[in-house]
Amino acid sequence: MPASVTNDTLLAFKAGRAFRRDGSNVVEADPAKGAILLTNGDDGLLHFIWKNRETDVSEEDLIIFPTDATFTKVDQSNGRVYVLKFSSSNQRHFFWMQDASSARDEEFANNVNGVLQDPEHPLQWGTSGSSSSAPPAQASSSSTTSTTPAAAAPGFQATPEQLDYLQTLLRAGGATTGAAEAAAPELEASLVDILTPANLTPLFTNHPELVPTLFPYLPPDLPMPPSAEVVQRIIHSPQFRAAVASFDQALRTGLLGNLVRQLGLPEEAGLGIAPFLRAVQAKADRENREAGGMDTD
Amino acid sequence: MSDEEQSGWQLTESDPGVFTELLKTLGVPLIVDDLYSLDSDSLANLQPLHALIFLFKWVASGDSESGPGSSSGTYDPDFQGFFAHQVVNNACATLAVLNALGNIPSLPTGPQLGELVSFSTGMDPQTRGLVITSADWLREAHNTLSPPSAISLEGLNLPRKSEDAYHFVVYLPVMGALYELDGLKPHAVRHSAYSEDGEGWLKVAREVIEARINTYPMGSLEFSLLALRDDPLPTLQSKIQEAQQAGNRELEHELLSTLTNENAKRERWAFENSLRKHNHVGLVHALLMAMAKSGKLSEAEAKAKEAMKTRIEQRKARGEDMDEDD
Repeated sequence: MPASVTNDTLLAFKAGRAFRRDGSNVVEADPAKGAILLTNGDDGLLHFIWKNRETDVSEEDLIIFPTDATFTKVDQSNGRVYVLKFSSSNQRHFFWMQDASSARDEEFANNVNGVLQDPEHPLQWGTSGSSSSAPPAQASSSSTTSTTPAAAAPGFQATPEQLDYLQTLLRAGGATTGAAEAAAPELEASLVDILTPANLTPLFTNHPELVPTLFPYLPPDLPMPPSAEVVQRIIHSPQFRAAVASFDQALRTGLLGNLVRQLGLPEEAGLGIAPFLRAVQAKADRENREAGGMDTD
Repeated sequence: MSDEEQSGWQLTESDPGVFTELLKTLGVPLIVDDLYSLDSDSLANLQPLHALIFLFKWVASGDSESGPGSSSGTYDPDFQGFFAHQVVNNACATLAVLNALGNIPSLPTGPQLGELVSFSTGMDPQTRGLVITSADWLREAHNTLSPPSAISLEGLNLPRKSEDAYHFVVYLPVMGALYELDGLKPHAVRHSAYSEDGEGWLKVAREVIEARINTYPMGSLEFSLLALRDDPLPTLQSKIQEAQQAGNRELEHELLSTLTNENAKRERWAFENSLRKHNHVGLVHALLMAMAKSGKLSEAEAKAKEAMKTRIEQRKARGEDMDEDD
């Protein structure tokens, strides 16, 4: 049932979906142009809808109870990826922002979260993170788009300006004259291709001081004392390589939030490979700074 | 539900080091070695030799009832020895070991194994198989050498990779005849009797195994042979001393060389087993941190993405499913 832009639509913005392919653990962006709409349904419940802008069909219609769901940026990913997650289940829905400009991403996301917590949350537009007050519908500012949305509209009714803007979003569909739609999130690297002997061996040669940092993580019952040579044998071993592949697989499920905290990383690092690697880099940079810097190649 | 979820038995590698560690846990003074040849000299070097284990991967389209390469022997429904059915697939390696151990006369064992064997006296193979797979202590000993489930992949609904179905068949002498014990067959299989002269039962075993291998079309089968034998280490030292005292330098050197090889092999097994038991997540994280600190991580990630992209394109071109064996 196509969602119409009525007074019951709380907010809407361009977004695409991303999925795990059947038989695969890679989350891939679906290129279909769409929009996320939050509406107050006839049933009196909050609906989180994903609508295909080209077919005008609502393909996803989720009922959300207050405080059950959050809409979070996958913080350390390269793309503008957000995940809708539920405290009542393991469900995860991934979306990516499709507006050419990311200037309003945070604004949309904050408003979505506000409404997810409380459907009567007053929407806030024109807040920080959005320097431009014009809706960034097309990069080549077309004159047919609507005017600026009113700042900080009270209550949960969309203003006439916002409704105009939504109409434009939902009907413009493929009319993106010269616009650059946001690029899909990039393909993710595999840990198996990162932790190769080819990558690690030069690391040990050029930074021998890093080798002892690995010793606490080696098996405790090795039949010989830890050494650089032992580390080399381990990284070449089928058992280690299988463990890397297994961890890579697990990380791609996006469900390792708890486990990564045990490694001293933020929960978002458990959302996937790219977030994990970003978190590792951030922690490494922090530790380097604290140690007074170190030679990088 | 997976085999592991239903039964609690995890999949382990079938490696002599894994088997030998299991034997140690069972309190049995035997080891398992890879056998590369069935010729008389190779076998003679491994004496005292108690059983041969033939290990092979099923290839699709086998007749599940009799299996390809059915043996030449006959079923012996009245077999008085120890024979158990394979009730849980993941337990196949341990089950094969028990089918061998249960038939070795006067074998020193730990108390739990001794009790298990005597408790199952007189049972039919199916019941015996169930008894074995319900033995918690045995399952725990078996599971020690599979990767720790600190990350339990079971609950994450990951697609199962096509796992190789390994199958184990034991050949050993029982009461004057060569028997073939296959946990997937209804009964023990009796081959011919053998004479104690010369190679004894090994001669018959060689003939039967070679005939079996020859029934498979070329290249359709991957197999290996394992030998279950007395652990040579305890007696090597005393033999070396005897040779020294007897002034037999040639023998002394030969034995010393055997001792060195044997110790190197044990160290390798101990190394591999310690890796098998270990949770490597901490090491993975520490290695990535080391790469990040030395500024090498972004570059590695970028190259890895390229590698992934190429791989996917190649698979698409070949029309294959993705992520099968990454």
